[in-house]
Amino acid sequence: MIKEGTLHLDSYRLASYAVQVPCYICGGGNTFDAELCRHCCAPMALAHQANTQKVRPRMVAAIGTSGVGKTVYLGMLMDMLSRMPDRLQLLARGAFSITLQQITTAALSRGEFPDKTPNEPDRWNWVHAQVRAQKQRHPVDLIMPDMAGEALLEEIEHPRSYQVIRSLLSQCSGVLMLVDASQLGSGTLEQDYFAMKLLSYLIELDEDPKTGWPSRPIAMIFSKADEREDCFIDPAAFAASHASGLWRLCQERFREVQFFASGVAGSCAYRNVPKLGRVRVPLRVEPRGIIEPFEWLIGRIKS
Amino acid sequence: MKGKFRDFATKLQAVPRQRWAWLASGLGAAFLIFGGWWNNLPLFGIGAASFALGVMYILGRRTSRASMPPKAPAAPAVAPTPIAHQEPRAPVAPEDTEGLVEQMLAQGRYALMLRPQVVGNLSAAHRERTRDELTEQMAFVPAGEVELGPWDEHALDGAQQDEDRHTAVYRVDAYYLDRYPVTNRQFLEFVMAGGYEQMALWDAKILPAVIDFVDQTGCLGPRYWRHGRYHEGTEELPVVGISWYEAMAYARWVGKRLATDAEWVKAACWPVPLGPGSRMQRRYPWGDNMDRERANIWGSGPGRIVPVTEFGSGVSVGGVYQLVGNVWEWTSSNFGAGGYSRPELVLPTPMKSVRGGAYDTYFDNQATSQFQSGENPVARRYNVGFRCALGACDVSFSETNDAAEPVAELQEAGA
Repeated sequence: MIKEGTLHLDSYRLASYAVQVPCYICGGGNTFDAELCRHCCAPMALAHQANTQKVRPRMVAAIGTSGVGKTVYLGMLMDMLSRMPDRLQLLARGAFSITLQQITTAALSRGEFPDKTPNEPDRWNWVHAQVRAQKQRHPVDLIMPDMAGEALLEEIEHPRSYQVIRSLLSQCSGVLMLVDASQLGSGTLEQDYFAMKLLSYLIELDEDPKTGWPSRPIAMIFSKADEREDCFIDPAAFAASHASGLWRLCQERFREVQFFASGVAGSCAYRNVPKLGRVRVPLRVEPRGIIEPFEWLIGRIKS
Repeated sequence: MKGKFRDFATKLQAVPRQRWAWLASGLGAAFLIFGGWWNNLPLFGIGAASFALGVMYILGRRTSRASMPPKAPAAPAVAPTPIAHQEPRAPVAPEDTEGLVEQMLAQGRYALMLRPQVVGNLSAAHRERTRDELTEQMAFVPAGEVELGPWDEHALDGAQQDEDRHTAVYRVDAYYLDRYPVTNRQFLEFVMAGGYEQMALWDAKILPAVIDFVDQTGCLGPRYWRHGRYHEGTEELPVVGISWYEAMAYARWVGKRLATDAEWVKAACWPVPLGPGSRMQRRYPWGDNMDRERANIWGSGPGRIVPVTEFGSGVSVGGVYQLVGNVWEWTSSNFGAGGYSRPELVLPTPMKSVRGGAYDTYFDNQATSQFQSGENPVARRYNVGFRCALGACDVSFSETNDAAEPVAELQEAGA
């Protein structure tokens, strides 16, 4: 017995699959319906948005060691700029761009810091936003991922272990580098060494004096500076006295470096958490020095 | 037109010197070549000089950078704001009662004159004036119960609420609370009167550290002052950059004390008893809903500390200004004591309780009457000030030494 029925002609789907969509971060080919790039795990929404909106977003990365405060910094920055658009106006492009500020502010308002960013790139939060500064005529489209500090260090120690980091940092127009001021102030040099490693890695990626990292803007941010008031008074002097290696490297190899201090928690305590041990918790949230480094960086990125 | 020229000049000034040097050497080289080609001596000379100067500058800078150790940059050259000029008060002879009373009133030390042991020595007129000063400067908070509880019930989900809802009910005696936080002008009286040198005012354990309570210029005083004086134009701003011990010393000097946690919350929540063990308390001094027009917190004010008389619409039921917003306020209680706030916390150092939020407090739920934060008692923060309290039993308005509880205000409060 022969049954008759209607069969949809799906050849157009096959045609779509045949055309590869390049990832905006690494340039690798992906199918049109891929959610994440199969090469670097960056969200393909970035590529689709760039194609549909006919813009070429710039990239800015927040880098630093694990636990230095990258997630809190980026989340607070996004939230502050979207709530008070006096100096800089920030408009998120796509719902996924709001997740980072949502999880950061939700945790902070509960009196906790957000959970550590996982090492797997497919679980990172990405931000694609349009930023308009008062002085700039044209808005700038920016892509900012919240990368895991441990993944960054892994990539530095074993290059090409995280393709997404390598591709992103090669194309970044500038970076926000976070260094823990409280650790530096207490006399330990670990943060100094980590920061020097990160800077050296950037130079390795592109050392062209005109277009490479020597001439790209780097906002050096001393995070957790609320525990070191002298850092707020003069961040550059703090760098010279507490991170001399970093200071010297910046002077010698980079032309566009500016030092800043920032803090989010006015005061901190600890809480014992099963399996995690003693974790730091903020006793109140009073952000300082969050917008200034970003504002400086945006001013240096040519639109 | 002038503006355009000015903008252009500013842009030119902003170009780094090294770029000028590169430009000079490049142009110089071009002039040198063309001058030689055309046998034009002036062009050749200008080119040679320009090229030599540019190259010398670039090479000199590179050599100095390679050989010199990195130096810390100088502090940003910001012209210091002028400081207020105020001479110390002339000493008053002990027998000059009139002068003594005037001086103590001017210094804000009226509470000392209303002590039950002292008030009998005042004339009726002086007693009247001193009482008026007290009622003008301080608000009466009637006795009663107040519940201190979790800082944000909304942050707890349903399952957590029963487990984590730590509350404690305190009985508070009647007391007076400053209507305004202590200002720079008021604190200057304490500094000029030698408050930092009067050892009797200070806790014995902090005496060795009092010498470290200095301002920007090394003089004794709040952290952000200069030469022992506040900056001009900041006289009505709440004093900040003072430790808990300095706040305590000032309070003792004016014959008052710091409010306890329970007292502070009672003034802000203004509990109304509904029945046995039940009361209605306000989330904010003005009511249960956040109104950003009524408090100087992040995003609502000018982003800095404002004079103590501003944000009058946020006044509490009892008439106390800025209980929420502008600056945090030291209380006399220990942070974490009582177990009602966040009992699970482990403190790096013993902390004192601060309440009320400041101009940069980001979340509304951290600027409520119940929210408690902690601070190291020796910390001298840019956004922590204080206001003083005075037990009603510690002052008397009559010669008979009766406790000063204003009957009219008590009836008004329903106590």
